[in-house]
Amino acid sequence: MGARHTAMVNTLARPMLLFNDECGVCRHIAGWVSAAAQGHGKDSPLDVQAIGEAPQALHALNPALNIWDAYDTVHLLLPDGSMRLGGEAVAEVLRRLPATRWFAWCFAIRLFGWQPFQQVLNLAYTILADVRPIFGCESCGTPSAWVRPFVWVSTKTKAMFRPDKRLTTKAAHFTPR
Amino acid sequence: MHGNTTTGDAIRTVSGDSFNSVVLQAAGPVTVEFMSYSCAHCRAVESALQQVALRVTPEQQICRVNVAQEPTLAAQYGVHGTPTLVAFMNGAEVGRVEGPPPDVASLLQAVTLPFQA
Repeated sequence: MGARHTAMVNTLARPMLLFNDECGVCRHIAGWVSAAAQGHGKDSPLDVQAIGEAPQALHALNPALNIWDAYDTVHLLLPDGSMRLGGEAVAEVLRRLPATRWFAWCFAIRLFGWQPFQQVLNLAYTILADVRPIFGCESCGTPSAWVRPFVWVSTKTKAMFRPDKRLTTKAAHFTPR
Repeated sequence: MHGNTTTGDAIRTVSGDSFNSVVLQAAGPVTVEFMSYSCAHCRAVESALQQVALRVTPEQQICRVNVAQEPTLAAQYGVHGTPTLVAFMNGAEVGRVEGPPPDVASLLQAVTLPFQA
């Protein structure tokens, strides 16, 4: 997480935040970012776009971009052809949004070669990514072990009000037809 | 060798328009993975399934159908969760596995077993 990649081709006019539109948590956060960015009209500091379902379309945006990776970790594509991932993507978005740039400078602070605030942000991102199933991620698959008890309670509670037909357990048996 | 070699993808993506010709009218066995790119378990399966696609006999095809783009096909074949592997022979379904373990051995068995029955 947090790695930087640079590709040879990229024609973006502005940074582009890709989000998982199958995940309720991601949609909510992307909606907030989009509203914060679009409030500035043509001078919007970044674009927010759903990842979608076309690997080739993402490949055209950045040849180093893989659709599976895009759904796994938040990606911010930059006009220079580089990408920020995970906590670094979040930090870069916060740096570019007028409403948050006042405090986002702290993520660049280095102490003895270590970025404490960035590390905290990376950890926060990892935790949020793990707990998304609790808050309504419809596409996050099998949750991390430590989150499963909470997901179980959440799923049972939600099922009382709204049945979920998605596959949540692995049925590995072969069924002849 | 099957699939799209130019992108390193051994699994051919099938749409609603090509499903009939590629899957139902195929001369040999075809396994279709109903999947979605946003599905974490599909991601876990992807790498092993690519290896399986390179191991099966040349007569056998492994294809994918993206249920997000082809909800009608998913509904038509009663796919309620992803990934679901559906085996076709001579246009008829001969077996299926829902949520297979993401390892090569299990997937190879899931892909070949229906055609040995």
